[in-house]
Amino acid sequence: MKMEILERDENSLRLRIGGTNAAFMNALRRIILSEVPSMAVDDVVIIENSSTIQDEFLAHRIGLMPLKTDLDTYNLPENCICKSEFGCNLCRASLILDVEAEDHTITVYSGEFKSENPATIPVSGKIPIVKLAPEQKVRLEAYARLGKGEDHARWQPVSMCAYKFRPIVKVDSKHCDLCGACVEICPKNVLLKAGNKVEIKNSDNCTLCQDCMDICKKTPKAVEVVWDENSFIFSLESTGALSPERILSEALNILDGKLKDFLEQFAGKENEK
Amino acid sequence: MIIPVRCFTCGKVIGDKWEDFAQRVKEGDDAGKVLDDLGLTRYCCRRMLLSHVEIIDEIIKFYEVGRKQQIGPP
Repeated sequence: MKMEILERDENSLRLRIGGTNAAFMNALRRIILSEVPSMAVDDVVIIENSSTIQDEFLAHRIGLMPLKTDLDTYNLPENCICKSEFGCNLCRASLILDVEAEDHTITVYSGEFKSENPATIPVSGKIPIVKLAPEQKVRLEAYARLGKGEDHARWQPVSMCAYKFRPIVKVDSKHCDLCGACVEICPKNVLLKAGNKVEIKNSDNCTLCQDCMDICKKTPKAVEVVWDENSFIFSLESTGALSPERILSEALNILDGKLKDFLEQFAGKENEK
Repeated sequence: MIIPVRCFTCGKVIGDKWEDFAQRVKEGDDAGKVLDDLGLTRYCCRRMLLSHVEIIDEIIKFYEVGRKQQIGPP
């Protein structure tokens, strides 16, 4: 397996992975989407809410805000030693919101939550939660816990996780009459007209739409888009709850755990015989 | 009603970008360019902001007026 980082910024990662197959890439993608745990509010106790928004609407909004996740400190509630329905300090974090608009209409932001653990705070402090007219009040306690994407989308650590075959774009300069139609139609500007030939830049950005092939009037086509089925462009965009590297390594650990479990079970069955 | 916290389709957080977006578009900036600056590359996230109407602002006016009448002279 060969790997190369194409892009990396605060919340996103793009890799080029060679020498693997779609089955492995899809396993990785599905584990990231549904089994990598992250923190989100699960229970909300509303003490007072005189805003224009209903309690359940408010709770839904609070649930959807991503929280910075500390996977090393917190346990998944089902695996926690406390075995309690209400959770303990190792599997639950509480956040408190206590706001009142006095003379003016105010917007309450996610940053106004006070957390019992300063590490478990909303990723962005600028998400509007509710707007309060003068004298309206909201007081509530929210309980966050680790969860998995398979239970609810709010626990998904990514807002995008996808792979595609690595595109290979070829231009046959002998057949090309430089009409420029393929350069014009390409949505990702993969083709570029330079002097008396069509050049290819960033072929990794190609979406494999093949519009360039369709518009080419030549037979055989002067431009050709094919793909390598053993190499992939893998992109991942984190919600900010976990770093992209952590999401990947956690997903691989989970996959590893599953395979180990399988092997152990299989070995057990073999011994029974 | 109020700007959704996340994109309905992909789940990217878009709530925190609304006020910036609304302000800049009001000032006359090109909406498409503002969306690019905010890092919204997919059309599912872009429509969230483009098509949003903050109705809560209209509803809240009734509560502001109601209060003025209550505390005003009888």
